[in-house]
Amino acid sequence: MRTYTLALLFALSPSLALAQPKAIVPDPDPELERKTFTVAPGFEVTLWAADPLLAKPIQMNFDPQGRLWVASSEIYPQIKPGEKANDKIIVLEDTKGAGRADKTTVFADGLLIPTGLEPGDGGVYVANSTEIVHLSASKPGGKADKKRVVLSGFGTEDTHHIIHTFRWGPDCRLYFNQSIYIHSHVETPTGVKRLNAGGIWRFNPDNTQLDIFARGWVNSWGHAFDKYGQSLATDGAGGEGINHVVPGGYYLTSQGPHAQRVLHGMNPGSPKFCGLEVISGRHFPDDWQGDVITNDFRGHRVCRFKLKEDGSTFAAREMTEVIKSNHPAFRPIDVKMGPDGALYIADWYNPIIQHGEVDFRDPRRDKTHGRIWRVTAKGRDLVKPPKLVDATVPELLEQLKAPEQWTRQQAKRVLKERGADKVLPELEKWLSDLDPTAADVDQHRLEGLWLHQGFDRDLVLLGKSAVIAKKAPLPEFTAAFIRIMATSTADKAVRQSFVEKALQSNNARVRLEAIRAVAKWDTADAATIALAALDKPMDRILDYALWLTIRELEPYWLPEFQAGKLTFGGDAKKLAFALNAIGNKDTIKPVLALIDGGKVPKENVQGLYLLLAQIGGPEELAKVLAHAGRESGSTIADRAELTQAVEDAIRTRKVPAPKLTTGLETLSTDKATVVRRPAMQIVGLWKLKELRVVVETLATTKAAIPADERGAALESLALFGDAEAKKLISKMCEAEQEDEVCRVAIIALASVDLPAAIDHAGRYVAYIKKADPELVDLFAAIINRKGGATALAKAIEGKKFQSADVAKIGLKAIRATGQPADDLTAALMRAGDLAAARKPPTEAEVKVLAADALTIGDAARGELVYRRKELQCIACHAYAGAGGLVGPDMTSIGASAQVDYLVDSLLLPHKAIKEGFDVTRVVTTDDKVLQGVKVREADGVLVLRTAEDKEITIPVKDIAERSKSTKSLMPEGITDQLTKQDFADLTRFLSELGKVGGNYAPSKARVVRRWQVIEPTQANLNLFRRARVSAAAEDGGAFTWSPAYSKVSGDLPLAEQPKFTVWNDTAAQTVLRFQLDVTTAGAAKLKFNAVAGLTVYVGNAPIEPKAETLLEFKSGVQTVTILIDRSKRTEDVRVELEDVEKSPARVSIVGGK
Amino acid sequence: MLLSAAFALLIAAEPVKPFEFKDGDRVAWIGGTLVEREQRYGHWETALIAANPDKNITFRNLGWSGDTVHAESRGRFDFNSPEKCFKQLVDQTLALKPTVIFVSYGTNESFEGKDGLPKFEKGLEKLLDALKPTSARVVLFSPLPFVKAAGLPNPRAPNANLSLYGDAIKAVATKRGIVFANLMHNLGDTESTDNGIHLTEVGYYAFAPFFADSLGQPRRDFSSEKFELLRKAVVAKNEQFFNKWRPQNETYLTGFRKHEQGKNAKEIAEFDPFISKVEEEIAKLRKELKK
Repeated sequence: MRTYTLALLFALSPSLALAQPKAIVPDPDPELERKTFTVAPGFEVTLWAADPLLAKPIQMNFDPQGRLWVASSEIYPQIKPGEKANDKIIVLEDTKGAGRADKTTVFADGLLIPTGLEPGDGGVYVANSTEIVHLSASKPGGKADKKRVVLSGFGTEDTHHIIHTFRWGPDCRLYFNQSIYIHSHVETPTGVKRLNAGGIWRFNPDNTQLDIFARGWVNSWGHAFDKYGQSLATDGAGGEGINHVVPGGYYLTSQGPHAQRVLHGMNPGSPKFCGLEVISGRHFPDDWQGDVITNDFRGHRVCRFKLKEDGSTFAAREMTEVIKSNHPAFRPIDVKMGPDGALYIADWYNPIIQHGEVDFRDPRRDKTHGRIWRVTAKGRDLVKPPKLVDATVPELLEQLKAPEQWTRQQAKRVLKERGADKVLPELEKWLSDLDPTAADVDQHRLEGLWLHQGFDRDLVLLGKSAVIAKKAPLPEFTAAFIRIMATSTADKAVRQSFVEKALQSNNARVRLEAIRAVAKWDTADAATIALAALDKPMDRILDYALWLTIRELEPYWLPEFQAGKLTFGGDAKKLAFALNAIGNKDTIKPVLALIDGGKVPKENVQGLYLLLAQIGGPEELAKVLAHAGRESGSTIADRAELTQAVEDAIRTRKVPAPKLTTGLETLSTDKATVVRRPAMQIVGLWKLKELRVVVETLATTKAAIPADERGAALESLALFGDAEAKKLISKMCEAEQEDEVCRVAIIALASVDLPAAIDHAGRYVAYIKKADPELVDLFAAIINRKGGATALAKAIEGKKFQSADVAKIGLKAIRATGQPADDLTAALMRAGDLAAARKPPTEAEVKVLAADALTIGDAARGELVYRRKELQCIACHAYAGAGGLVGPDMTSIGASAQVDYLVDSLLLPHKAIKEGFDVTRVVTTDDKVLQGVKVREADGVLVLRTAEDKEITIPVKDIAERSKSTKSLMPEGITDQLTKQDFADLTRFLSELGKVGGNYAPSKARVVRRWQVIEPTQANLNLFRRARVSAAAEDGGAFTWSPAYSKVSGDLPLAEQPKFTVWNDTAAQTVLRFQLDVTTAGAAKLKFNAVAGLTVYVGNAPIEPKAETLLEFKSGVQTVTILIDRSKRTEDVRVELEDVEKSPARVSIVGGK
Repeated sequence: MLLSAAFALLIAAEPVKPFEFKDGDRVAWIGGTLVEREQRYGHWETALIAANPDKNITFRNLGWSGDTVHAESRGRFDFNSPEKCFKQLVDQTLALKPTVIFVSYGTNESFEGKDGLPKFEKGLEKLLDALKPTSARVVLFSPLPFVKAAGLPNPRAPNANLSLYGDAIKAVATKRGIVFANLMHNLGDTESTDNGIHLTEVGYYAFAPFFADSLGQPRRDFSSEKFELLRKAVVAKNEQFFNKWRPQNETYLTGFRKHEQGKNAKEIAEFDPFISKVEEEIAKLRKELKK
């Protein structure tokens, strides 16, 4: 049945001619595959090696002789019982220099899914499931007959996560990665190293020194070094594109002591990438040098990114693909520069990728094919492969000046293996003989220094000779040098003087390396040294790096500080930064002293109060509220942040009420809801008698106020929990109240008197006629409490609902809580006269639906279905980074997923849950049931992202029970209301997403996709009437905005957007906005598809929109607000961001929810 | 040559009372890398089988790199929960219904130095209490000392700690009246280890006589062809058992994504016939040794 589906896929695919119409898998002829390639202009792709020379390549690396070593596995994904592990290491050679491999050797076999390899030290290092082994041959040219276990204890929880991506660093260390499900425990001479999630390891084989170079990512299948030793990484699941790796940094999904703050990739909304290489050498044109290449293995593309400096980090911009294809088995998974200066691509060749979603033993899994493709530039000479293994030491040292990174790196490997005794004297001479005026001398010195580092010898001599020979080295050199110097055995005074000087550099990258360099010094004064960074301009990455360094050094500096021995030179800004970074409750006193001292720069004051809210006790929280209540000069956002922080502190840390509060009264009657709401909760949480009247009044007012506002007041009142509160709330639940009032009152009552709330609810859900989506909260408030579902089932037994939709909402609430509530489900079905429960689709039904998608499905109509409000697809699944984070990004789903898989996922969301989206279910000590996708766990709190895309924080000590749910956050039955045609259209649309050559192919255009729009609510209209419509551009948090998203094409459908008229007889208007993140200030362009009817503001400054609008941006997040006169425009809105040549600006579009 | 060098280093210790193996004994072996890697070479396991050729003794190696008495390596997705980590170790051991348990911890804990000693002792006692339901005869092994290796600092300081932890293990054994097996012998040969802390294949081979000694078992001719055949069978059995009890892809087979590909977990039980088959082979070869 699956073959049938696949055959249909081919029938519709433009590559039909390539596939035998009835074949299970495509024709494996490499030439047919090659013909599907669209290659970057000026380049061509040839086949370098193909089956039977190799099968199933997973990783490849060249040795200094130019031979290509390939780790290959036919056992993947799982060894069979009784089967002997027999995977292979293969060596491919082009002995004739014909540009094609003509010789293959099995160097080793007997391995279990080798997922990484790197030749070196007389053999090859291989990832062999739980261990790294070093394999070598006693006879030159022979097969491996010696096997040495180098490290062991690596986890195997998932065979595409086990250790991989082996790389020699420029520093002669072996770098390798593990993915998110892996838990590793490795014994080394200095103790056990543990890594319980993804990350990059760094290993020195000479002394078994192992450390964690960076943490995080889901599938960090790419890691490469640029010519100055900066690390870049990609993720085969994370979707943030190219990551610039800060040493020791934590990235997406990290585990570890500092995981509460993480760094991100440079291209959010990217498809998943595998492999990474930096272009270097004479064969490639100048404008390709330093570009990075990675593989969109799902979308059958080899992608190219251009990096530009951006403060201490880079900005990465996608360029035209190196290769794109629609061949279903083309799976580029590794990419390496070769000895001839060409680019080599390993093609795993498989119609099926990974094994979480498709059965281990699915017969469509390819086990026998594999290709290596070679990309060359037309009309450009190849590089003559260097002779390295037989060269003399001086000859090899000269090769460190080669323009090809490949040659420099391999020469260094050969020199390293010749040994320190033979090489060091020559190396020192070579370094001191370098001509300081030569071009690229910094690069040459750096290669020499890295080699020196590889020998782990004292660096002192370098201080006097080569290093300081040139007066003004390139900052890139200095940055790399600081990293080498900081971990060297050089005298501390020498190291310190270099770091201190680096921190005063005008180059942010140099300062970044200096900040991170001292983190491992394990001394109190290292913190003082690092904090000098604050004397120079900071950027986001520098701020993170300093935060991490200060936290890592906490055990050394905090005791000294508390003992009064360390003062940070009395600099309040530095002290504030340090105390904020560690957020430790032992630092309340110094924080108070800082605040009261009044010497802290204005921009740090908010941060200190926030810190105080996070760590303080009752009196400190009172102080925060008093400050927030003094309205002068504070913004709504600031007040809201502080008030919310106090509420969170009371909830998560159970901080009791202070003796006296001032400011809370002002806050609870603040003009902005975002301030009032937490303030009212505080009143209830602390049971403040003197302010009870404020919430009572609001809770029971006869005036028409927004339901959520009243709900907040009622919840606050419920927190008092006494008989009087219950009575008042019960009264608001009575039938004579407005429906909305009744709803929020029942929700509030559920928290103090569940049986009474259920009584009211049973009556309410039966008589209510209008099925507001918010009703789901009412059901949830009852079902989420132990025994609630059963009691509600009894309460509605025998009743017939006025609206069947109410019963449907109830069922939705049951699904969202992921709890078995069979009695309530049955009762709701009866009460709403709903048809019997849906059954899981049979395989035959799935087959029919998948076929429908391809025969009658229409992708354009499907997109409209996808965008329907009632389906809420975008609320959870982003496209190109715009949209919710609850489920995976959909950018390339169609290129990777089979149609039957898509049908299954729509009908049975739990059948295959993407890694990183599994659901954690928690029962708290007060019997509340919560569930969501784990965002992080650190500092004693667990943060979950709920199905509503809200982050909820649960103190770990309040958790009574925790389990992994087998349910997906995606509700089952979401597509039940669709017609057959709708379903076919939706499936077809999804199946087209990301397909190369189609209408929904990934685009490199930087289009605004995530918008916010003003809904014509009464509160918003009142604000407009009080001020004017352009006040939206000056919004300090007063308006409420709803999300809106562009279509895949980038157009925002204007007809779908809410419009309003402020005064009678004026034209209808729509107000939109989006944000730009400017990391380096400068000029950039906004391109509008049409300017009719638009009034545009950047910040609160009006600008004149043109087809191409040139703008100067300040750094920081900038909001662009667009007022649209609907009488003058019907056209959709499309805005594109473009760089301006030579402008230093680094601007990206803010995505997300 | 290698062996004689090792013999020369053997320090005359107090005579060891032989540990008495019984026909039908099932030995569960828990510990860190030392135990885990033994399974792939099999020298020590084979030495014990060879010393008791007329008894059917089966070994199940549950070693896990980096492990401690608190079972810190075994938590997988529950690594943050000390209770769940510990429960893993206890459940894994109990599931085998062992009659003998080899407990080999202390090396990884010793990096905590003297300050960490009370936590280690408490953890060890807790573990032994939790294993009581098996009524198995328990053997507590001391750690192995670290040796000098190229590129590494002198092992004097870590060895002082290792002795400390070895003494603590011995004291617990004495208190409970259970067997203590001392492995604190320095092989001193550079080929026995290449990082100073873990034995190489040669190291396990060279250490096998001392391992037999530590349990008062007679030494056999470990270089004989018959012994080698037996050892190969032991290694083959260990490989099948390892693939069964610590299969790759646990996330899907038995973990939180089992609702997706958990159907493949049926293969786990399919390892058993293969294990039994090699075990029959081991029994045959063991009997050969007597001839």
